[in-house]
Amino acid sequence: MRTTGVRGRGTLSKRVARGRDAFWLYMGLAIALYALELFGSGVPRQVRAYANDLATPVLTLLNEPIQILQSGLERVAGVGDIYLENQELRDENGKLRQWREAAQRLIVENERLRQILKVPEREVPPLATAAVIGIGGGAFERSVLINAGSTENVSGNLPVVDELGLVGRTIEVGLMTTRVLLITDLNSRVPIRLERTGDVAIAEGLNEAFMRMRFLAVDSSVQVGDRVVTSGHGGLFPPDIPVGEITGIVEDFIELTPVSNLNTLDFVRVMDYRPLPPELDSVQAPEQAGGQ
Amino acid sequence: MAGPRPAQNMLGVAGLMPVVVSIGLAMLMLLPLGSGLADYATPHLVMISCFYWLSWRPLLMPYGACTLLGLFLDLWLGAPLGVNTVMLLLTRLFVLNQLKYYKGKNRGVYWGVFSVMAFGFFTLSWLLTSAVAGQFLAADTVFLQWLVTSFFYAPVAFVLGRLRRWVL
Repeated sequence: MRTTGVRGRGTLSKRVARGRDAFWLYMGLAIALYALELFGSGVPRQVRAYANDLATPVLTLLNEPIQILQSGLERVAGVGDIYLENQELRDENGKLRQWREAAQRLIVENERLRQILKVPEREVPPLATAAVIGIGGGAFERSVLINAGSTENVSGNLPVVDELGLVGRTIEVGLMTTRVLLITDLNSRVPIRLERTGDVAIAEGLNEAFMRMRFLAVDSSVQVGDRVVTSGHGGLFPPDIPVGEITGIVEDFIELTPVSNLNTLDFVRVMDYRPLPPELDSVQAPEQAGGQ
Repeated sequence: MAGPRPAQNMLGVAGLMPVVVSIGLAMLMLLPLGSGLADYATPHLVMISCFYWLSWRPLLMPYGACTLLGLFLDLWLGAPLGVNTVMLLLTRLFVLNQLKYYKGKNRGVYWGVFSVMAFGFFTLSWLLTSAVAGQFLAADTVFLQWLVTSFFYAPVAFVLGRLRRWVL
């Protein structure tokens, strides 16, 4: 009996020692991975991009019933308001017809003027349309995962929009998936312009539902309700994409609410906007200077 | 008297259930469920799952499985690599060291122990992520995620309990 007890205790202490060794082995691995992230290595970002591809088939599969359920619920909830909504839509349709005629006239006029003045085309073509299949970041990052990757020619730092305005930019590109950093993320900075006055500023993400407008000139007049669009500075986003609306001004804190549906994103468009690389700019600059 | 707890090699494929269920829950955490609040206050289902299985079947959730789950979460959620891995490894260490104090108590005690443990680990994850960001990130969203995770422990543990009785 005593021998068995001693042997049992020996086995237990061996198991405890093995467990302790395993803990420190895996903890060492975790600390090494964290150190890679902490010291700004690019390796984690690339590994993460391809890891997202692994989850894509399952996420797409799991997403289907959720989409069906959500659209079903929306349909059920909308039945009660259908008469009123129909009335509103008829009124709106009449107004939109008038707007369409005016817009078509302006497009033709604008195109003619562009040709006369030799102004380059500003229309940015879409590169890919993708569904949002995942969210990420937890409490610390605002990002979504879309089902378009390098196979659709998506690359890093491309602007992403929905039907209403700017959503964010691509950051981690895998074969079939891409992570999109939302404009509300803490690391997001978007050069913007006030539509009413033309003053430029920066829209800064705060990991909240709203953004903060910064670096606005002191003498500029800003009001609640002003619309804000991309300025095109910095070369990351094309100009004139709607970004948000000013919803609050408290001393120097200007609150900006995104116009895009960041809370209920389902489909987004990746834009094919690749401005000239900086080295080309620097090559052209001396030539222009020499010419003058 | 309760029989010996089954080890993975005794149960065969069924012994993989805790890890497989946890991977499934990790994917569930990734799904866009349609609300902005739900997007960033998604309960940490994997932490709940790990705590549950470690409390009831510790041998079926070894350190290697905790590392793998943490790594998947870090990669899929876009969190700094290592943060969720450290959290889940510490969850195992915590449960193995403290189980003797709450084992066999009622479910409320398990819930309370989980909430206290989760508070500590969420604070740690906040500090680790802030270090990577180079500034203190807003603590309110982490607090909200802790609250939601604590609240969700009971229903998720209930479902896992049914599953455990059914399969293991």
